[in-house]
Amino acid sequence: MSETYNIEKVKERISHIEDILASVAAGDMDARVNSETEDDLSGIEAAIDLLIDDLTDELKQREKMQKEVEDKLIKIQEQQKTIFQQQADLMELSSPVSKVWDNTLILPVIGTLDSQRTQIMMENLLEKIVETGCTISILDITGVPTVDTQVANHLLKTVTSARLLGAECIISGISPAIAQTIVHLGIDLSSIKTKATLQDAMIYAMKQNKLSENVKLQTLFTNPDENED
Amino acid sequence: MLQLTSDSTWEQLGKHPIETEYDIVNVRQFIRFYAKGLKMGIIDQTRITTAVSELLRNMYNYGGGGEVTIEKGIVDEKNTLIVTCVDQGPGIENLDLAMSDGYTSGNGMGFGLPGAKRLVDRFEIKSETNKGTIVRVMKWK
Amino acid sequence: MNTELHEKRIPIIKIGNFLIVSIQVDMHDKLAIQLQSQILEEIEKTGAKGVLIDISVLEMVDSFIGRMLSGMASMASIMDAAVVIVGMQPAVAITLVELGLEMPGVDTALNMEKGMEMLERRIKDEDYELY
Repeated sequence: MSETYNIEKVKERISHIEDILASVAAGDMDARVNSETEDDLSGIEAAIDLLIDDLTDELKQREKMQKEVEDKLIKIQEQQKTIFQQQADLMELSSPVSKVWDNTLILPVIGTLDSQRTQIMMENLLEKIVETGCTISILDITGVPTVDTQVANHLLKTVTSARLLGAECIISGISPAIAQTIVHLGIDLSSIKTKATLQDAMIYAMKQNKLSENVKLQTLFTNPDENED
Repeated sequence: MLQLTSDSTWEQLGKHPIETEYDIVNVRQFIRFYAKGLKMGIIDQTRITTAVSELLRNMYNYGGGGEVTIEKGIVDEKNTLIVTCVDQGPGIENLDLAMSDGYTSGNGMGFGLPGAKRLVDRFEIKSETNKGTIVRVMKWK
Repeated sequence: MNTELHEKRIPIIKIGNFLIVSIQVDMHDKLAIQLQSQILEEIEKTGAKGVLIDISVLEMVDSFIGRMLSGMASMASIMDAAVVIVGMQPAVAITLVELGLEMPGVDTALNMEKGMEMLERRIKDEDYELY
């Protein structure tokens, strides 16, 4: 009689083991046989549980490592973003446009000019011109020893664009090397106003302002109301 | 009809017929919108919009109208806006000449092409007499 | 809806001796040509000596519109009126230069106020020549 009893129980226990194995295969890492009996079969049950322990341990380790790698990746990406932002900020800071006095903007440039920096400078200056309504701007490149043809082109583009906006952009402090580059580009020099030094450019700007001041005064003194139709 | 292959990884943003002048104005707005979406600065947005405007004008005035396909994708690791204009018009007789500065071909087709080329990052053109013209321009962020 | 757009006219306002044209829409070529004719007709009708074309809202000026504006300035000057283009956006200026359209001989001003000063100066100068 104890023989038949055992077989039923054993069948149950075996089917339980199969269930547990199926659960583990499906991803349940906490499934264990957890046998409470102490007999020949329980040896196998315990061994299976130990095997599952080892397996799930490995899986958990792997998951943990993957998470760490992902976290590191996100951190690196954020650092990259910060670096890019800082680079952009640096570019902006390196070419500040300052308003000197009424109607004149000065942009002192220092250091090497590459194509990208020159373009940013150009955009900044033009925006500032529109924003402040200054009709005279001075681009001082005393601190720039040489430029390549691309940069020279951008500088000239700046002057022409300023003209299109209705403002004048004077370039001051052109070194002999840069003068050569500009001439070699074959640009029509009558289209750009240049001055040897920043001081000369500022004096020129003052004179221009004085001129338009005079005309403004002139206009004020003639009758402005005769235009009512 | 002439064809330029699209990379399968590119995402199509829109396909527009150019049959009336209002279509041109509409597509200009779309280009500006998508360029903004790619986070291009305002100057680059204006460059690509202007370049496409030049192409659309050619297509409408000399190509008998046509179709514009707007796509975006990664080109040279950069987020890029790709605009392809196809028409089945008379085509450009001398492409090299038309692409040289300041040139207007016999019936006016091709004027504005050198300018558009300067405004974009990549420019491809194929044209066959009586078969039509296809121009693709790219601008990346 | 299409016919409405076609009949859309850009308003031209007369202030004193000047005409003020404020372009607020993205123009298609036909509209641009229509505007050109409109302005010339108004110059004739009113005897205006100056025209201020305000493009501060325009985000794009391509080669056709650029040439229309240049042409406008030339045609108006033949009719003894000076044209000043006012309020160009920086992005537009840069693109025009890159397109190769530098519009030599076209007067431009940063804003309405400066544009009017420029026109007034022009007219006063002419008056001086009479004496």
